Amino acid sequence: MTVLLWILAVLAVPTLLIGLWLAGVFLKEFFRPSGGDADPDAAEALGLLPAERQNTKYAGPLPTGVDATLAAVRGGDWKAAAKLLHDIGRDWDRRSWATGLLGGIAADDDEWLLAWEADRPDDPDAAVVRARSTVILGGQMRGAKRATYTTGEQFAGFHRMLERSREEIARAAALNPDDPTPYVTEITVALGLGYPHAEMDRLWTEITARAPHHYEAHYMALQYWCAKWRGSEKLATDFAERAAANAPLGSLLTVLPLIAHFEHDQSDDSEVDRTPRMIGRVDAGLADAAAADQTHPRLPELRHLLAYYLALQNRDAAALEQFRLVDGHVNALPWRYRGSEEEMAAFYCRIRNASAQAVAAESAD
Amino acid sequence: MGATLRAVRALVLLAGFYLLGVILLAALAGADYLLYLHAPSGVALKLYVVSVLLALPLIRGLFMLRTPKGEERPGLAVTDADEPALWRTVRELADQVGTRAPTRILLTPEVNAAVSEDARLLGLLPGPRRLYLGVPLLQGLTEAQLRGVLAHELGHYSNSDTRLAAITARGRAQVLRTIDTFEERADKTAGREQARQEKKNAKAAAKGKKTKEIDTRHSGFTYRLMARIYVAYAHLYFRATLAGSRREEYAADAAAARIAGRDATASALREIPALSAAFGFYMNSYATLGSEARLLPPRGEFFGGFGRMLTARQLELVGLRSDLPSEPSSPYDSHPPIADRVARIEALPADGRADEARGAALTLLADPERTLAELEDAVLTDDVLRFARAADWQELLDGSMAANFVSADTALHRALAMYTKEHPSLRGLLKVIDDGQLWQLARRLPVSDQAAEAKGRAFREFVRPALADGLQTMVLAELSAHSRLRWEFSWADAAMVHLPSAPDGSEADLGAAIGAAVADHPDTGPLRALLPSAPQGPAARETDAPR
Repeated sequence: MTVLLWILAVLAVPTLLIGLWLAGVFLKEFFRPSGGDADPDAAEALGLLPAERQNTKYAGPLPTGVDATLAAVRGGDWKAAAKLLHDIGRDWDRRSWATGLLGGIAADDDEWLLAWEADRPDDPDAAVVRARSTVILGGQMRGAKRATYTTGEQFAGFHRMLERSREEIARAAALNPDDPTPYVTEITVALGLGYPHAEMDRLWTEITARAPHHYEAHYMALQYWCAKWRGSEKLATDFAERAAANAPLGSLLTVLPLIAHFEHDQSDDSEVDRTPRMIGRVDAGLADAAAADQTHPRLPELRHLLAYYLALQNRDAAALEQFRLVDGHVNALPWRYRGSEEEMAAFYCRIRNASAQAVAAESAD
Repeated sequence: MGATLRAVRALVLLAGFYLLGVILLAALAGADYLLYLHAPSGVALKLYVVSVLLALPLIRGLFMLRTPKGEERPGLAVTDADEPALWRTVRELADQVGTRAPTRILLTPEVNAAVSEDARLLGLLPGPRRLYLGVPLLQGLTEAQLRGVLAHELGHYSNSDTRLAAITARGRAQVLRTIDTFEERADKTAGREQARQEKKNAKAAAKGKKTKEIDTRHSGFTYRLMARIYVAYAHLYFRATLAGSRREEYAADAAAARIAGRDATASALREIPALSAAFGFYMNSYATLGSEARLLPPRGEFFGGFGRMLTARQLELVGLRSDLPSEPSSPYDSHPPIADRVARIEALPADGRADEARGAALTLLADPERTLAELEDAVLTDDVLRFARAADWQELLDGSMAANFVSADTALHRALAMYTKEHPSLRGLLKVIDDGQLWQLARRLPVSDQAAEAKGRAFREFVRPALADGLQTMVLAELSAHSRLRWEFSWADAAMVHLPSAPDGSEADLGAAIGAAVADHPDTGPLRALLPSAPQGPAARETDAPR
């Protein structure tokens, strides 16, 4: 019997040691400050905001007064919406951006829009917001999950709304023949209903005839040409490169090759993000951003992607410069694809903090 | 492996099927004997008890092997005197195939033809043969195609392939029937147990005691266990004989093509899946249309209508014929996939017999109308036969639709009852809508998780289809109750409903009226205009006497 006890004791010693080691690792992990990522102190010392204070609704700050306008519209004041679009006038980039914001509000509740339509039956601005709101509503019904996790009912609702929006788009286009915005809206319909490539090309001619370097048109069309929707990696990359090459400096279309790369990147490491080609794309983006109208509502979207790829390319000082220009708003690629708002902000902060820490370490040396 | 060797193996496996229980029992007895010799008596005693428990289901299983004689399936038996032409054809075919003709012919209401044999001595000796012939086949096939089908079925019993092939086929049928019986009996036992427990619960409830949950998982257990052993063995048997059976199927096809012509045989094979789908559709949508209203089509038409529907829907059949199933219909099915069989037959050299016997197979019957009527008597249950007979199909449609609407009960009915605590009626629903409570009512509808989470416009868009459907049913029911609907019967299309036309003579637009009533800002006006003597406004409704 004693022999047995001895054997047990000999076996117990290594087991006990492993247990102690595991407990140590666990405790160390448990008491380590937040998540084992880069220290947020370096970033916050520069005045950058913590994750919980990042705005997850927009990619950048709204221009002065727009916030108040949107609040008024939510309160039912359609005249504020009408004034916003009237003031923007024929600046098509800003018009489609504002239409998106107003359409989003109308997708939740369209009482104010109905009042607007009742008061000015043939107002092209109301018509374009109506079309946009129906498309956004369809997107809400579908949800953002992949097809396998989306129910038949969700797809049916999505398709019903897109079908309905086609009439509204046609009406908006007829009421304001110069306006590319209805056609830009239609790209989402093309995406959802699976327009054939020929139909998409026809739509594209309508758009480029009205606005050759329209940011949102190019952004949405690139989505259409992506492999996950109706195209392929090659079609998307070709489209992006061609559009970026033909666009004048400051049009922000240098963002397209970055997005095309991001949408088709399946790799686990960042080697593919450090190729000379990617560095060249980022440099082109930096020059584009510098030359752009600094109040362009889409400029932050380019800066977010630039910051991300600069960080992956270990160009931390340049990355930090972009981060400082956009900090406070995180609803942009590449963060936007994270499942929830918290994850979106957390992902942004993780990359940002790593860059800030690297810069701080360098200057301390 | 030669054909004879394969047949011998099948024979040995068949013997194994019957000996399985005996062998297992012998193994148990042997184990007990070893225990008796070597184990200490305390342990052995316990193991004896275990082995007895194991032996019980085995012994039970042995008794279960007394396969019941194949019961005759329901059908209309026709004698030589009834249907001389049919009998002559069948005898002729049996002669050409080189086998005995069946002794009985039964007409059945299925898209199937089969020759069965009550083999004696566990499937070793031949017995009386029956031909089951589906009347839908007679309605859908040409005479040449039917000859192809019959020649194939009879071909299974020909000895042209190998002398033992017939034994394999008989054995196969016997094994299949045995395991079917197992399953059936296990279900019956479970059913008895359920009835017993329900009775017990009812008694307990009557005395004010708590009732137990009914659980039949344990009953029929020994049957199921034994059935599982035999089914596993049957699988083995089928797998081992599958290659052989496939060869026999191809051989039977080749014989059929030789006797009935290549093209007729191949086209019959293409036709059968199409007929099968069409017949299922016919039974659902036409023949049993009046089951709710307890109405039957005119005498002879219950099965007779199928022929009319086939004629009217020729174009749809073309589509059904072209895509053939390429998978076997069940793991027990000895038939190769139909697509393969058709391909093999069509690969045979042309025999120039494409134009033979193109008349409808139904003409083989002496008096098709009388036979179709007698078939109803033979296969419909007495309860169904007591249903009233409609004068024609139009009357059947009218009566059935009216009855369906009387008992209509949609999710919207239930939601309305829950919301208003009143008997759900169209009048009540329109009042709810006019009071601006449509979307509160909609929250009572059973909806998916995604719809339940949605708010505002998204929620309304999610539930709008269900609301529109429910409302349409209620409106049609209301119009039906006032005999305002006209149904249009058609063999070629779904039944169409016509609403009373508007005063200006145009067809009423029900869809638009319903759309307006379930819009974000509902307007029941257009709908009320369609309804018979509907109260037109809130004031009129107040004075409307309750019905």
